Amino acid sequence: MRRRKRMLKELDQDIRDHIELETQENIERGLSPEEARCAALRKFGNVTRVTEETRAVWGSVWIEQLRQDLSYGIRALWKNPGFAIVIVLTLALGIGANTAIFSVVRAVVLAPLPYPQPDRLVVVWENRPNVKTLGTSYPDFLDWQRNARSFGEMAALTSRNYDLTSPGVPQHLDGMEISSGFFATLGIKLAMGHDFTPLEDLPHGTPSVIISDRLWRDRFASSPQALGKPILLDGAEYTILGVLPPGFRFLADADVYTPLAQGEPLFYDDRTIHAFIGIARLKPGVSIGQAEGEMSAVQEYLDRLYPVADGNLGTNIVPLKQVIVGDVGGTLLLLLGAVGIVLLITCANVANLLLARSAARTREFAIRSALGASRERIVRQLLTESMLLAMTGGILGLIVAKLGVSLMFAEFAQNLPRAESIGVSLPVLFFAFGISLAVGLAFGLVPALKSSRADVRGSLKSGDRGSTSAHPRSQRALVIIQMALTVVLLVGASLLLRTIDDLHKVNPGFNTQHVITFKVGLSPSLTRTASGTRIAYQQLLDRIRQVPGVQAADFTNIVPLSEQDNGGPFWVGPQQSTSMQDAPHALYFETGPEYLQTMEIPLLRGRFFTPADTPDAEPVIVINSVLAHIYFRDQDPVGQTITVAHWHTARVIGVVGNVKHWGMDDPGTYNPSQIYISFYQLSDQWIPAFARALSVAVRTPLDVATIMPAVKNVVYGTGQDQPVYNVRTMQQVVSESMSSQRLPMILLGVFAALALLLASVGIYGVVSYSVTRQVQEIGVRMALGAEKRQIFQMVIGQGLRVAVVGLTIGATAALILARLLSSFLHLLYGVGPSDPVTFASVSLLLTVVALLACYIPARRASRVDPMIALRCE
Amino acid sequence: MSTKEQKERTELLQGTLDLLVLKTLVLGPAHGHAVAKAIEFNSDDVLQVEQGSLYPALHRLIKRGWISVEGGISENNRRAKFYRLTAKGRRQLAVETSKWERLAGAIARILRPEAQEGKS
Repeated sequence: MRRRKRMLKELDQDIRDHIELETQENIERGLSPEEARCAALRKFGNVTRVTEETRAVWGSVWIEQLRQDLSYGIRALWKNPGFAIVIVLTLALGIGANTAIFSVVRAVVLAPLPYPQPDRLVVVWENRPNVKTLGTSYPDFLDWQRNARSFGEMAALTSRNYDLTSPGVPQHLDGMEISSGFFATLGIKLAMGHDFTPLEDLPHGTPSVIISDRLWRDRFASSPQALGKPILLDGAEYTILGVLPPGFRFLADADVYTPLAQGEPLFYDDRTIHAFIGIARLKPGVSIGQAEGEMSAVQEYLDRLYPVADGNLGTNIVPLKQVIVGDVGGTLLLLLGAVGIVLLITCANVANLLLARSAARTREFAIRSALGASRERIVRQLLTESMLLAMTGGILGLIVAKLGVSLMFAEFAQNLPRAESIGVSLPVLFFAFGISLAVGLAFGLVPALKSSRADVRGSLKSGDRGSTSAHPRSQRALVIIQMALTVVLLVGASLLLRTIDDLHKVNPGFNTQHVITFKVGLSPSLTRTASGTRIAYQQLLDRIRQVPGVQAADFTNIVPLSEQDNGGPFWVGPQQSTSMQDAPHALYFETGPEYLQTMEIPLLRGRFFTPADTPDAEPVIVINSVLAHIYFRDQDPVGQTITVAHWHTARVIGVVGNVKHWGMDDPGTYNPSQIYISFYQLSDQWIPAFARALSVAVRTPLDVATIMPAVKNVVYGTGQDQPVYNVRTMQQVVSESMSSQRLPMILLGVFAALALLLASVGIYGVVSYSVTRQVQEIGVRMALGAEKRQIFQMVIGQGLRVAVVGLTIGATAALILARLLSSFLHLLYGVGPSDPVTFASVSLLLTVVALLACYIPARRASRVDPMIALRCE
Repeated sequence: MSTKEQKERTELLQGTLDLLVLKTLVLGPAHGHAVAKAIEFNSDDVLQVEQGSLYPALHRLIKRGWISVEGGISENNRRAKFYRLTAKGRRQLAVETSKWERLAGAIARILRPEAQEGKS
């Protein structure tokens, strides 16, 4: 490159010298100076051309021509800005939507986990015959840790909430209890301080805590002095041992990490409480299969050693990434496919517009070709123009993507794992660039090849603007493809719409209207003892019930449809008749006595709890209809006894309706039996553990903004250090429980709408273009007596034919795809994949849109003045 | 009319000019004007090439490494660029010359078929 510059720099001087020498010679031969110079110049030839040709020797011709093509392309597009804008906007939408979805898929599914050697990290679940993934009990975990050789490090954890009361204002914090070695297993180094040692991870070890970077910034102004400082969590003093690096996150947001063995002994000291997640790092060279083999041997040994607690337990090793990404992966890939279809439609649309335009430019190409442009050169010119459009579309598409991602983030961040890392990153930029390139080629090539084949003599001779050498067949084919793809998207979106619609019609077993749930951190000073805690909750609820507008209120440890689990074994009758694992399991609701009435769960038999069901009275429970049906078939369960693990043998006092706890589409396969226990009757030892989990449910006709300030007032009235948080209406909980369908439904809906718009533009373009081409024919027909109505129908008929063919192909494809997807993803509920209503309404919609798109050109055709049309010839 | 033919024709001309430049420089380094004069003189003015077209040819040869360029003083005491045949250029000249001779021979045989018949 530098050589080129040097060589060319002196070229002008060389040429001047040359001409001067020649002039000199001519003068010596006796010519006058003027004549001598003219002769020299004549002999030399065109100086400019010589300079250019010499330049061409050094410059790559390719780049030079690209520059020409580009500037020509820009000028050509500039001349027709409407056309360019439509194409660029179309592309921006197509590329933007794809880039947005890709950036989500990349962050959630494709990107490796942010830990060293992430593919060696696994979660070790337990399982029992009917439940595939079960948390582990801590004693089991410790036995694994002692016996398993497949893993380098292992750790156990469970989530826990804390109320921070000092330093600073009281605040509710999410946290985790972790066993020592948790950060080592993940391969994470603390930003400051040190990890728990096994010494802290002991029941009476020094209370210590590792805090997040965020908390460190907020509460300690990023001061290194924070190490060794105390913070007050749930009324107890913890010493800060370390600070995490910024952005560290595992499974959920958490600000404080405390040693697991300093937590609740009722949980970690019991082999039957499966409240922990076991994670492990596979040793180099050990496969998951090998580890599973070893672990099942270890667990078999434990099953034999502890037949009551562990009998029939197995283990199940799953890659950590799979656990984190979960089911969302499939949905996101579905969306990636859908948005790919949008891109195809975009390409088809743009190709169509370019075809129409290149038809109009036939004469231009004929002239260029006559002047010596090769076919490659013309193809290259057209491709450069498409690339120009594609790249401009791509850049705008990035903006669209950025907007789209932030919209999606606002709507779905809570329902997407790893949402925090979604963004327009370098790989996403590459992706956008790549698809712009591919798209430019895809939609540019067909018209380019077609136009460059134009017959030079024909186009030049006919003297018109090239409308005779159009490409109606390619155009029609492209529109049919668009229609078919649009049908596929529309069917997908409306199947999901119908699913959500059906889900909303499902009765979840309680009244979801007018209920607000929230959590309250009761002051540690009020909850030192079990009896104190009972009184504190009673008083809290009494105050809340007195707030004007509150019709009913009480608390529960698990809120329906919010994915909270609290399963445990039970035995019908007065004693524990089998091992824990072989016993039937039920979902336990530890609630206030008025919870069932608050939620309006219908009473089928017996009675609800009353204030008379005190700790000293007989232990009583309420069961749901499913449990009653399965275990008491013909008898009346009221008055019978059930033995509840970890508690008492209790008398059944009532039967209530089933609550769809696991989602509106709950098929009732996991823990369908439900048992309600009055929180006040719980044993003293369990009170602190369950109190932490309680959510208050309030039934009120007022909205959140109106009622919550009053509720907060009465809560704060009982103590300044009591945060109110997680405020959600039951309607919000319901709609979040449908997020696995709502996310694809909304996005598919958007894509389908986009597709419909593009397809209607496409069909409009084709029909309107063919009307232009047929003006003379229409003129002749009219001159021969055809009526306006007939012409109108003829044009509409042309459009409809295209639409019907597209519809048929699309419906067939949609039928196959929907069947395939419903068997993969289990997204549909209440509608079959070949739901006739869906298919009929999609067909109707598309036909109507096609008719509307044809209407304008058809009207134009019917108004053709035969005289003018014929005179044009 | 095809652009392909056009391209081949110019290539033929270019190749010929290249050959002439190389041949001229065998005698020793020369500046641009001198090369042009030499070609005109040696071909008895039959090859009426525009002098300008010499420059793309010279640059093409430099780029291929067949000739090199150096500063010098022309006969009328002016700074000028002198072009010199490189070793690679010398080898190329041999190749080009034999190629040209083969081509010329072939064309001659086509143009004078009786001579060909007489020989065979």
